[in-house]
Amino acid sequence: MSNFTLKVNGNTHTVDVAEDTPLLYVLRNELELSGPRMGCELGQCGACSVLVDGKEIRSCITRPSSVVGKSIITIEGLSELWAQRKSLSKTEAEEILHPIQQAWIDVQVPQCGYCQSGMMIAAADLLERIPRPTKEQIKDAFTNTPPSPHLCRCGTYTSIIEAVQRAANVMAD
Amino acid sequence: MPLTRPTLTRRAFVKAGGGLVVSLGLSSVLRGGIVTVEAAQENTLDATQLSSWLEVRSDNTILARTGKTETGTSAPAMYAQIIAEELSIQPESVSLVLGHTDKTPDGGYSAGFLGGAANLRKVAAYTYRALLELASAQLGVPIADLSVMNGTVSGSGKSVSYGQLVEGQQLDLIIPVSGDLPSIDPTNPIGITGLAGISVSGNPPTKAISDYTVVGVSHPSSGIPDIVTGKTKWSCDVRLSGMLHARMIRPATVGSTLVSVGQLDKSRFPNAEVVTRENLVAVLSPNEWEAVQAARSVAEDTKWTDWSGLPSSNNLTKEFRARDWGQPLESRGDVDKTNAGLANATKTISVSYEQPYVRHAPIGPYVAVADVSGDGTVTVWSQSSQPQGLRAQIANTLGTSVDKVIIRWLEHSGQYGRVTYGGDGAQADAAILSQIVGKPVRVQWTLQEDLTWSTTSPGWIADIKAGLDAQGSLIAFRSDWYSPHESDARLLGAVLAGMPTVTPKVELNNRLISTVWPYDKVPAVLEQGYSMPNLGADAPSTGGLRGNIMRTPYQRQQNFALESVINEVASAVGSDPIEFRINHTSNQRLIEIMKATAEEAKWQSRPSPQPDARSTGSAVVKGRGIGVIIRSGGHWAGIAEIEIVPNTGVIRVTTFVIGVDVGKVINPRHLKSAMRGGVVQGLSEALKEEVTFDSRNVTSNDWNRYRILTMEETPEIKTVYRSHDDRGMGGGGEAANALSTSAVAAAFFDATGIQPRRIPLTPEYVRTLLTA
Repeated sequence: MSNFTLKVNGNTHTVDVAEDTPLLYVLRNELELSGPRMGCELGQCGACSVLVDGKEIRSCITRPSSVVGKSIITIEGLSELWAQRKSLSKTEAEEILHPIQQAWIDVQVPQCGYCQSGMMIAAADLLERIPRPTKEQIKDAFTNTPPSPHLCRCGTYTSIIEAVQRAANVMAD
Repeated sequence: MPLTRPTLTRRAFVKAGGGLVVSLGLSSVLRGGIVTVEAAQENTLDATQLSSWLEVRSDNTILARTGKTETGTSAPAMYAQIIAEELSIQPESVSLVLGHTDKTPDGGYSAGFLGGAANLRKVAAYTYRALLELASAQLGVPIADLSVMNGTVSGSGKSVSYGQLVEGQQLDLIIPVSGDLPSIDPTNPIGITGLAGISVSGNPPTKAISDYTVVGVSHPSSGIPDIVTGKTKWSCDVRLSGMLHARMIRPATVGSTLVSVGQLDKSRFPNAEVVTRENLVAVLSPNEWEAVQAARSVAEDTKWTDWSGLPSSNNLTKEFRARDWGQPLESRGDVDKTNAGLANATKTISVSYEQPYVRHAPIGPYVAVADVSGDGTVTVWSQSSQPQGLRAQIANTLGTSVDKVIIRWLEHSGQYGRVTYGGDGAQADAAILSQIVGKPVRVQWTLQEDLTWSTTSPGWIADIKAGLDAQGSLIAFRSDWYSPHESDARLLGAVLAGMPTVTPKVELNNRLISTVWPYDKVPAVLEQGYSMPNLGADAPSTGGLRGNIMRTPYQRQQNFALESVINEVASAVGSDPIEFRINHTSNQRLIEIMKATAEEAKWQSRPSPQPDARSTGSAVVKGRGIGVIIRSGGHWAGIAEIEIVPNTGVIRVTTFVIGVDVGKVINPRHLKSAMRGGVVQGLSEALKEEVTFDSRNVTSNDWNRYRILTMEETPEIKTVYRSHDDRGMGGGGEAANALSTSAVAAAFFDATGIQPRRIPLTPEYVRTLLTA
């Protein structure tokens, strides 16, 4: 067992876990977050994705040691992320949603919803790199960004594309 | 009409957990006019009491209860609309309790949206009448002079809200019901009866569809904001004090039995323990990661017997052809007339179609928590689309009364039909382990486990004969469809542990043919279905590859063959595929939706294949094709446009146009989602999906091997739907997925001149097909 100090959604936590514990387990069990979910534990589906220093990683195949000192964001922290971007006060931050979350609601993207945390994280990563992505760029990002595609069995892909475009319009303003 | 006048009583005591227990006394249940009196059941709501279904609260909101659950189609949003419509309130005022077996009255298939909608509509309608009676008495105004808007009753210058009428008291009303909650029944083909649950009977006056103001609006799903902010409590999030995490160790092959359990290294895994019961093996720990690693370690030297009793999936068709299937289990149509029609036909087309095993493959593998407590109460936290069925099953397996079992429903990934019969999954593992160790146990399946051990949608073969007359009209059609059964509702954990569970009775399940025959102008039609037990049914420990229903079951597979043959026949007589269908049906709704879909797709009327069809070369060749289906009152048409490079075998679906007439559209936004999502699932099946297995095991056990559609492979999807007030309400959640297969196969033929008679159309298979 080792101690790791992790910065998650703006808060600092020290956890005492085995060195090879997947970050997914630390986030879900030690920190009781529910956004990143277990899908495959092989890095094949994207359900476990979180942002680390703004970039999407698959938390099921990531060790805590590799993210110490970095900023980890789950969907629980997206509003705060946006609030910081817009320099909002803490109270204002509590009222708003990240444009990605708002777009996901406006377009009614989730069906079962299980994969959507990972999808929103992928969207956040993409819009950081390409603020106004084309449909092809969106498809490419959700399919060909290593290590694997983001999979949705309910087939919400078309809605996700619409929501990403909607969020892009809001964020680029 | 309700049997009693409405009364108001002091609010019945509701337990802190929200479970309404019918306390001392008797409940009466109407069955066909005869009132029978039964002892009250623990942990069960009395469905004859309005308070079991619906509460009017003093803040003018409604709390409604149903045993149906959210399965990913936003049905609860639509239930709220339906209730709100009948009560003349806004849907935002309605909240729903879903699924918990001690907090909801009706059980029943979550898949049966229309049934649940009918129940809730009637309850709301009975309640509306009751509230009007109370208002009339309170205001001194005749009912005929009263009107309701947003939950306020007004007339003759006076008004009172529902909340004021009820004033913190409980509105009591007897609701007439029929049916039973699910229970174990060995004479039933699945082993469980009552899966349709309780139905509300009678015909209370309901609002005319043409007067709807709430149904028909894209009312948002109230669960989505919590999903996107991470506030939803999912079934995988349940944590209980003293809970142990478990990972299962599964048999080495589909038929292996346990020889010896591997050693648990307590120096590496100090808090872990191994639990075994016959062939059920698990490693438990308060720490999940320890359970995972300890299970991997123990699994390495756990010894199993060998077994190799499966045909490999490569030999599936051969295996099916070699089998003596006996008499058809179901025969629909006129045997003599059809055989005569075929014998007298000017031209006969005789073809065979097939498809391998596919499976539900949700993104989230099974997970459940169970707590078998000291007093014998069993609580299971899990997703389920049939909580009462699961409840009956768990009780049966553990040997306890169903009264002692509570299923707590929570959200999880879509299951696409595999839990419709209340079976399968991590729930039995968790309940059995908890019973053994006397602590709450959480079982999380791995992806590999889920893709190996969950139930499947079995492969099939079909032989079809179509007879044409001299004018090119279809005059006789015969289909013989062969597939292992789809009704294995056993709990895998119970099977492995040698504990009681249901027994599927293949020979009793005589409802295999699920086509809704669209072509009524064909005078002679015969459809026959043949069944067999699971492949590998004699496997000692597990009963083989367990077959189960999967979204648009039976009809999905049968429709692929049917619609493909219709396309083949149309081509054989030089007819445009839509024209050919129109000539053989008098179903105006089907004709209308075909035309509307074709218009959106800019369909060029001509026969297939296209004039420049080509089956060779490295240049792209294009094609378009159509499939139709009628299901649950919905009339569907799907048009695929594809591009193929014959040399590589790669198919790209560029556009898919999907049209449906469901009568009244309850929620346009959610219908559109169901249509688009269904097309994606269907294309995935048409292009990619196959369960592979060798003689011992399923081998397609991760996402690299069991491949599903990605975002990049998703075409532009155009939806066509129009709402009608005079055609009732049909189901929209299924059937879109069934269309993609025949539409893509037809487009393939249109592009290449070669008709595929098997899916999936993987590049490898396409290359074989085009060079054969």
